[in-house]
Amino acid sequence: MNTISIELNVNGRDWQLSVAPNEMLLNVLRERLHYTGTKYGCGIGECSACTVLMDDTPVLSCQILAVQCVGKKIVTIEGLAEGQESHPMQDAFIEEGAVQCGFCTPAMVLTAAALVKEKPDPENQDIRDALRGNFCRCTGYVKILKAVQSGARKMRELS
Amino acid sequence: MYENYQFVGKDYPRKEGKARVSGKEKYPSDLSFDHMLYGRILRSPYAHARIKSIDFTEARKMGAVCISYEDAPDQFFNVRLVSIPSATYKDWTIFSDHMRQVGDFYGAVAAETEELAEKAARAVRVEWEVLPSYLTMEDAMAASENLIHEKVYLHDKEVIIRNNIACTREVVEGDIEEGFKQADVIIEETFETPRQYHCQLETKTCVVRPEPEGGITVWPTTQAVHNTRILLGKVFTIPLNKVNVVRVPGGGHFGSGIHTNPVALITTALALKANRTVKISLSREEDMYDHVRYPSKYTLKVGARRDGTLTAGHMKAYIDIGCHHVQALAFLGVMSGFWHSLYRMESMKYEGTAVYTNKVPTCAMQGYGAPQVTFGVESMMDMLAEKLGMDPIALRIQNYVGLGEIFWGQGPTIKSKIFSDGVVELIEKGAERIKYYELKKQEKGSGRYRKGIGFARGFHTSGTGAPMPGEVKDYTTAQVKVNEDGSIDILTALMDQGGGTLDAAAKIVAEEFQVSFDKVGISPADSRSTGYDVCTHATRGVYCGAGAVHEVAKETKKILFDYASRMLDTYPGSLELIYEEDTGETRISVVGNPERTATIAEVADHAMNKDWGTAIFSKSIRKTACPPAYTNYFVEVEVDTHTGHVRILRVVAGSDAGTVINPDLARGQMHGGFYRSAGMVLLENTQHDGSTGELTNKASLLDYKMMGIDEMPDEDNFEVIFASTYEPTGPLGAKGVGEAAFNSAPPAIASAICDAIGVRFTKLPISPEDILEAIGEKKL
Ligand code: FES
Ligand code: FES
Repeated sequence: MNTISIELNVNGRDWQLSVAPNEMLLNVLRERLHYTGTKYGCGIGECSACTVLMDDTPVLSCQILAVQCVGKKIVTIEGLAEGQESHPMQDAFIEEGAVQCGFCTPAMVLTAAALVKEKPDPENQDIRDALRGNFCRCTGYVKILKAVQSGARKMRELS
Repeated sequence: MYENYQFVGKDYPRKEGKARVSGKEKYPSDLSFDHMLYGRILRSPYAHARIKSIDFTEARKMGAVCISYEDAPDQFFNVRLVSIPSATYKDWTIFSDHMRQVGDFYGAVAAETEELAEKAARAVRVEWEVLPSYLTMEDAMAASENLIHEKVYLHDKEVIIRNNIACTREVVEGDIEEGFKQADVIIEETFETPRQYHCQLETKTCVVRPEPEGGITVWPTTQAVHNTRILLGKVFTIPLNKVNVVRVPGGGHFGSGIHTNPVALITTALALKANRTVKISLSREEDMYDHVRYPSKYTLKVGARRDGTLTAGHMKAYIDIGCHHVQALAFLGVMSGFWHSLYRMESMKYEGTAVYTNKVPTCAMQGYGAPQVTFGVESMMDMLAEKLGMDPIALRIQNYVGLGEIFWGQGPTIKSKIFSDGVVELIEKGAERIKYYELKKQEKGSGRYRKGIGFARGFHTSGTGAPMPGEVKDYTTAQVKVNEDGSIDILTALMDQGGGTLDAAAKIVAEEFQVSFDKVGISPADSRSTGYDVCTHATRGVYCGAGAVHEVAKETKKILFDYASRMLDTYPGSLELIYEEDTGETRISVVGNPERTATIAEVADHAMNKDWGTAIFSKSIRKTACPPAYTNYFVEVEVDTHTGHVRILRVVAGSDAGTVINPDLARGQMHGGFYRSAGMVLLENTQHDGSTGELTNKASLLDYKMMGIDEMPDEDNFEVIFASTYEPTGPLGAKGVGEAAFNSAPPAIASAICDAIGVRFTKLPISPEDILEAIGEKKL
């Protein structure tokens, strides 16, 4: 298979990679860069477990080719805290008991953090709209909704 | 009861929280090792077929390691080892040339990359003989040839299968003929519950590494590392001290990891053949063909006197178990048990039949038989109340099995007595909170949206222990050790599936030693370093699992007190533990002589330097009861009579968990249990195409619709009430929550729909189409 040499900016660092033209961002993140916080849940764009931020917007890494990400800033859950100990949204998820098995958590936290950055004081309906496609089989979403509200409060206090 | 506790009943950030929010937690699917091969499983495109020949030439040319039924161990086993051998049917081999469902497996390949493995898998050529397939129970039972299984084993005894009937079970108490004669009112109804897919977010995965000194190390998705170890050791004839199964957190199980997932056996076969580490992670599609909840179809007949006493009950159930036994005999047993233990009946008869079909093998999913049965029984209590002109709640309070009574939720071989019972308290508080009686009286109106209120109750057993050993194994081994700085480590193979089981164990130990929660650690565990733990299932995590940890902690404390008494020159019985909130230290002091004192750290350190030893203890503990964790739900719904959609408006949930160890996490269990049960009631079912046997949702999550964040109420509209009970046999008064959170919700939702539109549905899920059709018939 032909490969293409690309440079990807992931979590603030530039990576030189040679990827297949049909290689998905999800694979590159997990298999090559070992950012395994980005999860596989379906591989076909139905569960959002593979969400990462691309220039601050949540995208499904199983639906994006690695070569499409050249020149963009990709942030995975491992990079969200940007060198701090943790991001306020991460703290909120723990404090509110919104983490059970935790498999959906990275995608939830990233999506929620992106929402609040855009809309610092979201209504419950805004949170529902943003997380509509994010699938969690454990929590029943009740605590997740609450955690995002509390994370938003923390983010507002910090800004 | 737990106001006096220092740590239990308080909320602390969960121990795995940081790892999970930062993406650092490693699940089986995240693991990779040097020089690891990737495996792909070779699967049948047919629902029922035999393989005439198989050709690996092209795959081998690609460098793939290939394995099939021709060269894998072929002994019979059951993937689920929770029951004792004499109650275990065995109809599995690792691979077979007889394909019994679409997606059944006959071999596997491994290669350097996943892509290459996929290519090699596609290059395998098979010559098929397609057999007639049986996709309904009726077709299956009518068949006398080309059976799905011809011969299976019950323990070591050969069993010849007839008419695709996998097994049957009958349980009788009293004389039902006489009972029905005594009845003033008799009602009979047929109920059906769906094949709900677990849809745990992480698909089934396994990594197996052959070790240089022989044996293997295994990282599977499982709820039971020890049962996985024992099965792999048996099937591959590896000494059990050379099969090391590591406890790795899984991305959800909900019962699908009680049995050893076939992927663990297949990965092991490949790894042993290749003598290399192999990893297989199922695609979502493969996962959907791997496991599903037991569906049920049963007729329930109940007789009652005019005063509401139940004179007789008869349940006749047919269970479409799919193409393998994942201990269906146990399932039939618990169906009878959950039914028998909901309400007192003067006589009862249960007849269960498990039928093989060419479908996905069915297994436990949250509730294991209880949701199936509770749906019918609770619906019937509503119907009976209506017929008797009684209040449905009063009828339940009059008849439920409670304090001081014998019950056997886990089937007829597991009988124990009830020592704590918060049923009435929860019902009264819940009814008050949601204003049940007012809502019940409310006019439904004739508008597009109709509101309804529903109620139902139920329970799950906290584990499967009983005074007498039964058909199910139930014990946990734990070790508790005090370190020289006063911190404490718990070592046990007990799993935490996300519900907070291990946090509960840590909190109980913190309470026993009066040390702060953050000083208690959970050691990484694998099957080699721990004693047997049956599994985290049956709502046994806190009561049996953390209960075992508690018993062991008490023994460790005795040792610590022995050291302290030598150090302080006193008797162990004169000592007490005092937690100092300001310093965070814990002291061991002589009662009444506070100057004779040392911190736990000082005692442990002193004991080490004096060569007395470490305060450490390890033991296997079996609980001799499995107290009912009662739950109930009041649910308010709104039915859109134009679209048939049902919206959950408000939920008031009641949980009788005894002492609540982790209140916030326990609330989370109730939310999650309700969410999955509402899915089963309103949306979720997997169906097979009647001719091809394929899943009609084509393994797409969009076509296996589940509720999302949009459909669940927020916390203001989802209240959880805990009963103020204390379970005398439990760790610090605790019993379970887990599956009980699911069991009583389905009939509550169905009853709310009935209240809204006057139609009682007896078949789940209740789709919008069903509702529209019913509305059309009733001309609402
Ligand atoms: S893995 Fe990308 S959406 Fe499911
Ligand atoms: S916490 Fe398990 S899937 Fe969300």
